[in-house]
Amino acid sequence: MPFAGIDIGSTMTKVVITDEQEKILASHIGPTGAEHRHLALKVMDETIKKAGLSFDALDFIVATGYGRINVPFADKQITEITCHARGIRFLFPTARTIIDIGGQDSKGIKLDADGKVSNFVMNDKCAAGTGRFLEVISETLGIALTDMGALALSADGFVQISNMCTVFAEHEVTSRLAEGAGVAEIVAGLHEAIASRVVNMTRHLGIEKDVVVTGGGAKNQGLVKAIEGKVGFAVFTPPEPFITGALGAALVGKDFYDRGIRPAKERKKEEVTFFS
Amino acid sequence: MSDPKYYAGLDMGSVSIKAVIVDERGMIASGLIPSGGNYKTVAQKVMDNTLTQAGLSFDRLSGLVITGLGAAGAPFAGRQVSDISCQARGCSLLFPSARTIIDIGGQFTKVAKITPEGRIADFLMSEKCATGSGRFLQVIARILSVPLDEIGPLSLQSEKPVEFSTNCAVFAESETISRISEGAKPADILAGVHRAMAAKVAMLVKRLKLTPDVVLTGGGGQDSGLAPAVGEALKINILVPEFPRLSAAFGAACLAREDHS
Repeated sequence: MPFAGIDIGSTMTKVVITDEQEKILASHIGPTGAEHRHLALKVMDETIKKAGLSFDALDFIVATGYGRINVPFADKQITEITCHARGIRFLFPTARTIIDIGGQDSKGIKLDADGKVSNFVMNDKCAAGTGRFLEVISETLGIALTDMGALALSADGFVQISNMCTVFAEHEVTSRLAEGAGVAEIVAGLHEAIASRVVNMTRHLGIEKDVVVTGGGAKNQGLVKAIEGKVGFAVFTPPEPFITGALGAALVGKDFYDRGIRPAKERKKEEVTFFS
Repeated sequence: MSDPKYYAGLDMGSVSIKAVIVDERGMIASGLIPSGGNYKTVAQKVMDNTLTQAGLSFDRLSGLVITGLGAAGAPFAGRQVSDISCQARGCSLLFPSARTIIDIGGQFTKVAKITPEGRIADFLMSEKCATGSGRFLQVIARILSVPLDEIGPLSLQSEKPVEFSTNCAVFAESETISRISEGAKPADILAGVHRAMAAKVAMLVKRLKLTPDVVLTGGGGQDSGLAPAVGEALKINILVPEFPRLSAAFGAACLAREDHS
């Protein structure tokens, strides 16, 4: 019995298909782009193909992420907070605090002993503390976003970046470069700045062990290490941090199914686009 | 009768360096050049140009006050005064009724409450976020390929200002791109940016308790669309100096004159 979760993030769309044993059958990631609906279906089709299934074989489809309302073929829409919590608890049964660093927002999620969401904080108002911060600065520095973490880890100390605002930090970075500061040390300083921002935000919830860092930010070892420095102990990262929301969505779908809930309406599969 | 006396003010800002020369009656010459990477050279050039315009040599100046972010790097000896004090002096001479000054510069937005004598009573600065500053406009104008001095006139043609769902300049940048692809007009986008900035600036002003008259100065004053937007947000009429970017340098020159009187 297959269940699918689709997580439409600001930057990427992720799909995970699991079976009734909660085993991952397939996953796929594609860009979100401007035409959510069209690309959502494409990523879904790719994943179904990988799993060797057909669309109609899916017993439940849950959509999550900020673009979840643009998935006409989903049986339910569930917030990414719930889905992340479900996915992370599945991977780390002892997790009590989740730090999710996405492309355009970051979240802190607190779980109770049973794995239920007890509280959360979110920053989607400002690019500081999100993947966007690093993305903007990596463009300024002409360094690939995926190389930033390793570069930070190679630094000998770090240059303090005092500006939280991405626009001002960009300017600060170019000034520090002009003053002769090392690129690696500046990049390390940027990671310190993001880590401060997300850890301070999550502190409002009370940081409790175990801590799991997820989302695209967890792919960045430099950032994970900076976060560990701020919380004072080791944190966990999922093997595939991009897909924890989609995984959680698939599992939430299975939970619905187990409680006897069935897809109500016929799934709309036509390609709707914003610009047609 | 003794020789007429001349005084200069030099304002070394992050975007442009400005010089003003005054005599006993008022401003007789001024200059403005983008700051670029070498403040010292540019400051020297602005001062030289302004002196030439006034038909004076540097030795003829009886006093010089230097202000702005880069004041410490000035190539001349002169008394250093904070830019907000100079702004207060300049604006209160230009508008004796001024009690609040909003200075929207390239990086910072400052709000000062001033006494009837033109002294600072209270002061606030926004430096944490680009949204309330000129940088926000620069970022959006760059995407739209609109030169900075055309922002104001263009925005005033707007019929339906775009409403931004974000207050972050970085997110607004991506939102702008989406809006362009949806067919939004540059005029409406710029008017939307003015509204977002005005909301942020109004918040600062209200924290100091709004006291009219309000003068808008700095590069933001140069933008003819911004003052009406701030005025609308505060529900009052905003005064703008004839040369909003020169008011701090003018105030500095006047302070130099007061030093010697």
